[in-house]
Amino acid sequence: MRSSISIFWRRKDSYYKVLLTRCKRCGRASFFARDVCPYCGSSDVSIVKSSGRGRVVSYTVSYFRTDSNEEYLPLVIALVRLDEGVYVTGELRDVEPAEVREGMEVEAVLRRYSSDDPYGLIYYGLKFIPVIKRC
Amino acid sequence: MRDVYIASSSMINISRHFNRGYKELAGAVVKDVVEGASVEQLDYMVVSSMLAESSLNQLDLATILTQHLGLKPMPAIRVDTGESSGLAAVEIAYSLITAGRADTVLVVGVEKATEFPTRVTNRFLSKVLDYEVEVLRNITPPNYAALIMKEYMKKYRVSREELTVWPVKMHDNALRNPYAQLKFKITPSKVLNAIKISEPITLYDMFPIGDGAAALILASSRVARKSGKEVLLVRDVVSATSRPLYLRDDITRFESLATLISMLRRKYGFRIDDAVCEIHDSYSIYAYIILEELGIARRGASYKEVENLVYVNVSGGLKARGHPFGATGVYQVSEVYNVMVKGVGGVKFDGAFGLTHSMSGPDYNSRLCLLERVV
Repeated sequence: MRSSISIFWRRKDSYYKVLLTRCKRCGRASFFARDVCPYCGSSDVSIVKSSGRGRVVSYTVSYFRTDSNEEYLPLVIALVRLDEGVYVTGELRDVEPAEVREGMEVEAVLRRYSSDDPYGLIYYGLKFIPVIKRC
Repeated sequence: MRDVYIASSSMINISRHFNRGYKELAGAVVKDVVEGASVEQLDYMVVSSMLAESSLNQLDLATILTQHLGLKPMPAIRVDTGESSGLAAVEIAYSLITAGRADTVLVVGVEKATEFPTRVTNRFLSKVLDYEVEVLRNITPPNYAALIMKEYMKKYRVSREELTVWPVKMHDNALRNPYAQLKFKITPSKVLNAIKISEPITLYDMFPIGDGAAALILASSRVARKSGKEVLLVRDVVSATSRPLYLRDDITRFESLATLISMLRRKYGFRIDDAVCEIHDSYSIYAYIILEELGIARRGASYKEVENLVYVNVSGGLKARGHPFGATGVYQVSEVYNVMVKGVGGVKFDGAFGLTHSMSGPDYNSRLCLLERVV
């Protein structure tokens, strides 16, 4: 077993939704749910849910093999600017690496992160995919 | 505050030491460093290792090592600050002596990174990032180096080809270093055409996986004077942490390093062009940024100045000397000591200062050690 079930379960809200920490003192919002603002240290924060939509600022196609990612390689890891103006790094799926573009609109959807083979837990969480244009 | 000197240093060659465990690697450098120091007793041992729990299945490495090596019972502690653990061990040893808690401290950096297949070690080493926020979401350290490299190339209009100069230079330097892991020349085209790790990072932009051990004995002036070792003073060791990559306003800057170097400049008035340096070039893009933060090169133009750098990473750096994680910071101090006192492969530095820089991840923490010649 490579991952801890309790670590994952405790943070599940942060893996199933794009949560931001909004600081009432300095006014800045940041990725991931925290009890304190990572910019100013204030505990006067609220956790807000992001729309999960944004644009690719930059990306890399990764071939760096670990024993928990090898079945998914290559991975596209992107720096995304959410519509709320907050930056987040995360995986981009459902697109050929050669077709990823800076400025591409993306949205967060539920996907599989990894699994504890052969009988362990499967870890699900949000990844980004290109926004599907609805006509 | 009491002065701290380097009484002795020792290293072994960095390699895939399949036939030797961490006890043998540490044992070899401890024996050597104790013999070289001519001190009567050791007051404290500080051990650094990044992967002990993961790779060695061992907790409390410091105690187990004192037992195995037959050292007289003494206080022993293991430190971990990720990839900069080795320099953190030097920092703790320095603090113990300046605070008057010890007169002689044995520092041992040891890493066995090859006990598991590379893909397993890759998972272990990725845990220098935030496990809950980054690692579980499949982000690994070279991904960040790649994002930073792309941003740097865009911001300063630098081509991928122009950024091959660092690894080529490091492989040249490593040819002179008897302890280096990668002792062969490479060319720009070899860098560009090597297997991709995380685009645009290729195999030759990244450190190799290897085992190593290095040791130092630090001593107070009382002890150093007695043994005639008042040669190289550890002037200061400073460290700082910074924000994760996705919370940075400018990912082409290393803020904690910038804070540390300006602190040392203010406090000691030293000039970087009067120093021999070992820097933490885990990925070649990090080397360019570090050169700029230290004031060795102009922003966005460090690649143009690499050719002329004689006294930066004489060892070959993490790129070619190697990066046995928890031991790397101890190697760096030993290398600067050697190049200032004895000379390495025909290179001897006669200036006043030595500087080593070690960090974890992309400057998630940084540490600087300033050495000064006193005779």
